[in-house]
Amino acid sequence: MSVLKHSSIAARLAASLIAVALVAGCATPPPADDKEAMADWTQTNDPLEPMNRAIFDFNLAIDKAVLKPVAQGYRWAMPQYGKDRVRDFLRNLRAPVVFVNDVLQGEPDRAMQTLMRFAFNTGFGIGGLIDVAEPGGIPYHDEDFGQTFAVWGIGEGPYLVLPILGPSNPRDGVGIATEWLVDPFNLYMDHIDRSWPVWTRAGVSGLEKRERLLDTLDEIERSSLDYYSALRSTYRQNRNAEVKNSLNPTGIR
Amino acid sequence: MSAATVALALRAPAVWAAAADGESRKFIQNLADTAMKTVAVKDLSDAERAARFRSLFVNTFDLPEISKLVLGRFWRPATAEQRTEFQKLFEDIQVYTWTRRFKEYSGETLDISSVETDVSGDAVVVSQIRRQSLGPINVSWRVRQDGATFRVVDIIVEGASMIVTYRSDYSGVLSSHGGKLDGLLEVMRDKVGQIKVS
Repeated sequence: MSVLKHSSIAARLAASLIAVALVAGCATPPPADDKEAMADWTQTNDPLEPMNRAIFDFNLAIDKAVLKPVAQGYRWAMPQYGKDRVRDFLRNLRAPVVFVNDVLQGEPDRAMQTLMRFAFNTGFGIGGLIDVAEPGGIPYHDEDFGQTFAVWGIGEGPYLVLPILGPSNPRDGVGIATEWLVDPFNLYMDHIDRSWPVWTRAGVSGLEKRERLLDTLDEIERSSLDYYSALRSTYRQNRNAEVKNSLNPTGIR
Repeated sequence: MSAATVALALRAPAVWAAAADGESRKFIQNLADTAMKTVAVKDLSDAERAARFRSLFVNTFDLPEISKLVLGRFWRPATAEQRTEFQKLFEDIQVYTWTRRFKEYSGETLDISSVETDVSGDAVVVSQIRRQSLGPINVSWRVRQDGATFRVVDIIVEGASMIVTYRSDYSGVLSSHGGKLDGLLEVMRDKVGQIKVS
């Protein structure tokens, strides 16, 4: 089964999204003469809030039942050394995508870092299992197509909660789809007609990400009154900082 | 006026700002050290830890200003009683959340990398919290100076401002209660009841 040409999954997902949107409807904007309320409404950037909240509740249910327990199990069962190897391997596998985005964003120095990291870690780090480049002075950074589109001046569009994937927006959503389609690993697996490595990788990446976010998400849920609003705000601000490359992911300066 | 005087006059504010930056940095470093030494210690009862954090918190954070910013457009129409209660509940929520965090801390250190001055004139102390096995957390502290006293007005964690996040969170609650502040206060009272440590 081809992973990439399988447009029927995407089409079905889009159709069900539209169905949910029709049922849930759009949020009602405040009266135009209430300037402060209107400013808040614009700032919040969530005209599809009723639909988003419905998907959010769905995601939360799946998360509580499956994703979070599995991530907790992974945290508990896997020693730190193993977790570090999984993280390093997945990061290295994504390096070509990061490299392409560095280039598309006009960041030659960062592109060179990514390229060197990929070469060292693949060659000397047992196929990427051990990040030898970082202690060697070439720190890791992440990039994705959503960030590249942002650098190109494309706005985020309205806030969007994607099924399973969570907080997003049209720009970042298209970014995720683009990555899926151009990732060399996916292209290669598609070429040799193997889909299980693609899905396995996606699953393990998701698991690893959920494990990293266990404390953060618990914290936001615990300290907020309205988890949905708090998460929306946190996601949008954090994304903004990522686009500007103003966060240091490694602690190496 | 000679060129040298002009140069001096132009440079002076930068020099003052640099001095203030050094003090903001010291203030945050002190705050972190005090928190680690008094609040994050082991073998402390929850109530004692909460009490210690509260006294540190109210003396180093500008709570009236933070409350005003979090409530945003809902601050002005609020009555004096509502404002006082809001500030008290907000303080309680912060105290109990932070008490819990500090209970789980072990071996974290704060590493300050730089101090910037933002458009409003506040100092922004850029730092990272280093953890033992997990990755570092990027934290910036917005510090306001008033005479000789320094107060934290905002914390920015991984690019997300505490004030912006709470404002969004609380206005979400407010709008589901028809913009009534009493509705928000009710929800906040419940929250304090849930997370309270005694």
